Amino acid sequence: MTHAEIQRLLGAYALDAVDGDEAEAVELHLRDCPRCRAEVNDHREVAALLAHAGTAAPAELWTRIASSLEEPPPGFQLARVTEVRPRRAVSVRVVAALSVAAAIVVGVLGVKVVQDGNRLDELGRPRPSQQLLAAANAALVDSAARRVTLLSPDKQLSVNAVLLPDGTGYLVTNNLPPAAAGDVYQLWALVGTSKISAGVLGARPSLVAFKVDAGVGALAISRERAPGSAGGPGELVAVGELRPQPA
Amino acid sequence: MLDSLRDASDASLVVAIGRWRQEALAEAFRRHAGAVFALARRVLGDAAPAEEIVQEVFLRLWNQPDKFDPDRGSLRSFLLAQAHGRAVDALRSEAARKRREDTEARMTATAAYDIEHEVMDLAMADRMKEAMAALPTDERRAIELAYYGGHTYRQVAVLLDQPEGTIKSRIRAGLGRLRDRLVSEGVGLGWQES
Repeated sequence: MTHAEIQRLLGAYALDAVDGDEAEAVELHLRDCPRCRAEVNDHREVAALLAHAGTAAPAELWTRIASSLEEPPPGFQLARVTEVRPRRAVSVRVVAALSVAAAIVVGVLGVKVVQDGNRLDELGRPRPSQQLLAAANAALVDSAARRVTLLSPDKQLSVNAVLLPDGTGYLVTNNLPPAAAGDVYQLWALVGTSKISAGVLGARPSLVAFKVDAGVGALAISRERAPGSAGGPGELVAVGELRPQPA
Repeated sequence: MLDSLRDASDASLVVAIGRWRQEALAEAFRRHAGAVFALARRVLGDAAPAEEIVQEVFLRLWNQPDKFDPDRGSLRSFLLAQAHGRAVDALRSEAARKRREDTEARMTATAAYDIEHEVMDLAMADRMKEAMAALPTDERRAIELAYYGGHTYRQVAVLLDQPEGTIKSRIRAGLGRLRDRLVSEGVGLGWQES
C-alpha cells in the first residue's frame, strides 16, 4: 500500500476497525513514519474522550485484580553467549580507558548516556576526554558509590561499573570482544520490572558514563543490531545485580 | 504515600508501578478503570466480559509497565486502546459464531449506539456529546458503528450501504474534526487528573 492509501486507513485503524491484513500493513508503515504515528496517537486521544463515561468500575473488580498480582520481580534472563568467542582479557584501567562511540536516549525515565568525543586511538577505540576520566576516577574513590561487576553466564566476560547515589554511573573496564559487523552493545537498567535502555555502547565499548534511575536493581549489556534496540533487550551478554543503596 | 500518589502524574504512577508499588496500580485503577469498564461494556453489551477485559488490561499494566510510552499519548488512551482492541476481538469471534442471527440483532444494536441517548454526567462527556452532535451525520454514524459497535470499516460500509472508501474517509475526517473542535475549545487531548 502507498503512503496515501495507508493515510486513508489511519482513522479506522485507530478505532480497531480494519481487518488483520490491513492492520499489519498499517503497523509496518507506522514503524517508519512518525507523521502517521502521530496521527494515530491523536485519533486515539480523541477516541479516549469518546469513551469518557464518568462512571466507576465495579468495586469488587479491584479486589480481584489485587489478589492476582504477582509479587516477586522477574530478573533478567541470561542468554547464552556462544557466539561471543572467548578472548584474552583486555585489562583497561581507567586512566587508559576509552570512550563511548555513540549514544542514544531511549526509555520512559529519560535515561541517557553522556556522549564523549569520538577521537580514535591506535586500538580503534574512541579516546575519553579528561573530564570523563576525572569524573570516573572520582566515582571510583567515592565511598558512597556502589560497585557492580556484570558477568556472562560462563564468567568469561566481565564489565566493571560504578554507580553514584544520584544514578550517575560509569562502565570503567571490560573485556568484551568487538561486536560483529552490524552489531552494537547496549546497556540496560532494570528498574522494577522495566528494562530500560541506558544507551547504546557501540561495537567497542570502553569508558562510558551513563545516567539511570536511582532505584535501579541491576545492569545488563545486550548485543543488538545497529543502531540498537528501541524495544526490550535482545541477547544479554552480561548481567550484574546491584546491592541496595546504603542508607 | 497515598496522598503523594493522588497528586502524581500518570507517567509517575507508571514508574511506581514498575517498582512494584501496588498502591500506584490502585491509583491508576481509580483514575481510569471506570472509563475502561464503560467502554468495554458498551462494545460488548455485557458487564461480565467487560470486567474480564478491565482485569486483563490492568494486569498487563502491572506486568509490563514499560509498554506504556508517555511520549505517545496519555495513560488513559493507552489503556482504552487496549481494552477496545480486546473487546473488538471478543466481539468478532462471537460474531463469527452467531452470523446467522445477525441481521435482527444488528438493527437493535445499531439503534442503541446513539451517543445522544447515553447518560453522561461529566462536563467532558457533555462536550464530547456536543462535538459529536456537531459532526456531519454521516461521519458521526461511521465513528459510532466502528468504535462503539466494534465493526470494521468494511462492515460499516455494508451497514450504511456506502462504498468502503467513503467510510474510511468519513471516520478519519470525523476524528480530525472532533480533534480540531476540542483543541479550539482548549480541551487538552491527554487526560488529566483533576
